[in-house]
Amino acid sequence: MARRVEQKAAARERIAAQLAAQQRADRRRRLLLAIAAVVVVIAVVGGLVIIRLVGGGKKTATSPSGSADASIVSALSSIPESTFSTVGVEGVQTTPTPITAPALTANGKPKVLYIGAEYCPYCAAERWPMAVALSRFGTFSNLGTTHSSASDVFPNTPTLSFHGSTFTSQYLAFTGVETTTNQQVNGQYEPLDTPTAEDQKTFDTYNAPPYMQSAGSIPFIDIGGKFVSSGATYSPELLAGKTQAQIADALKDPSNPITKSVIASANIYTAAICKITNNQPANVCSSDAVTAAAAKLGKS
Amino acid sequence: MSGTVRQPEKTKTGLGWIPWTTLVVSIVGLGVAAYLTYEHFTAGTTLACPNTGVVNCAKVTSSEYSKVFGIPVALLGLGFFAGMTVLSLPPMWRTSSPWPSRLRLAGVLVGVVFVCYLIWAELFQINAICLWCTVVHGLTLVLFALVLVREALTPPAS
Repeated sequence: MARRVEQKAAARERIAAQLAAQQRADRRRRLLLAIAAVVVVIAVVGGLVIIRLVGGGKKTATSPSGSADASIVSALSSIPESTFSTVGVEGVQTTPTPITAPALTANGKPKVLYIGAEYCPYCAAERWPMAVALSRFGTFSNLGTTHSSASDVFPNTPTLSFHGSTFTSQYLAFTGVETTTNQQVNGQYEPLDTPTAEDQKTFDTYNAPPYMQSAGSIPFIDIGGKFVSSGATYSPELLAGKTQAQIADALKDPSNPITKSVIASANIYTAAICKITNNQPANVCSSDAVTAAAAKLGKS
Repeated sequence: MSGTVRQPEKTKTGLGWIPWTTLVVSIVGLGVAAYLTYEHFTAGTTLACPNTGVVNCAKVTSSEYSKVFGIPVALLGLGFFAGMTVLSLPPMWRTSSPWPSRLRLAGVLVGVVFVCYLIWAELFQINAICLWCTVVHGLTLVLFALVLVREALTPPAS
């Protein structure tokens, strides 16, 4: 009897030991699988880093550089009045600051001065409303297309370039200075346009406190010595991933977020420019949108 | 009197170090993701990170890859770590329900795939590294390892 009890106990112990061994083996197998999965993930991440280090990666910008297509220039200058009035100035966060300074002129006409650079993403954003506003007073020729730097914030923001362009108007003169390209050589962006001594003096004087919060920011815009502004009036992020043609096309739709930002800023610039052209041309300067924008000038 | 084996690390008295570490990592991740989310919605004006050269947080957080289907990636990270924090609380480890364990596993699997995508975007599309994002990526990989090892050490429910 005692022997049978011992045999049963031994059998139970043997079964328990086998079960425990099986469970240990299962646990070891699961642990190995888990560790293998972690190693695979680490290998994938490490592989990505190694591939990048040995020369992979995106090196070129997507939007084209060169002369702006006629369709883009045409789109900028043929925005219907209804679009300007529909958009209004609701989305505008900042407006040019009124200043007391000698009139900025060229060839007997009031002058708008823009100083920026092709690498600068905020300049990239601001050229669109600038070009739209100026196109209401005159005609651009040889307007370029470019993009902001691929290695700065808001990389490759598609835009226009005032480098090499000319602006013809019976009401005002415009000088667009792009100080550098968007390409770096030895860690520095390549020089492009050099401002005249007079324009540089205007930049140094009015792109600094007390006229501006900080000195030297670009884009800098001086509207006839009556208004100055610095920086972008909307986020360059809005233009990310678009081509210049797509942006120009978007401006046909008043409900498009790009149109709302670009046209609202253009209305503000138009109102400021009207202040230096003695409200000429009348059909532009007396329009509802520009009148509303004029009321907002210097209030933000 | 039966031949069953007691489940380790699931008693009320001792959770073991993995659940507690998972909770701590999730809370740290939640903090970093909250900071990145705040910076996303305030245009990164106070982002404590260099913005020149290879390390450039603003370039990454303002790139087209900073959103997925219109949702800011920072917000997705915040949701991920908030969920992992809840799933890493002690009651969630002690419960007999299989769901917290399944959700933790699904969460870290999705998280680690997303991290690989974001690392690819940083290295090959944006050409910049965001330090704070890298911290989040590292924490997600640690969570992945912790949850997987914990799952491996826990015997399957019979």
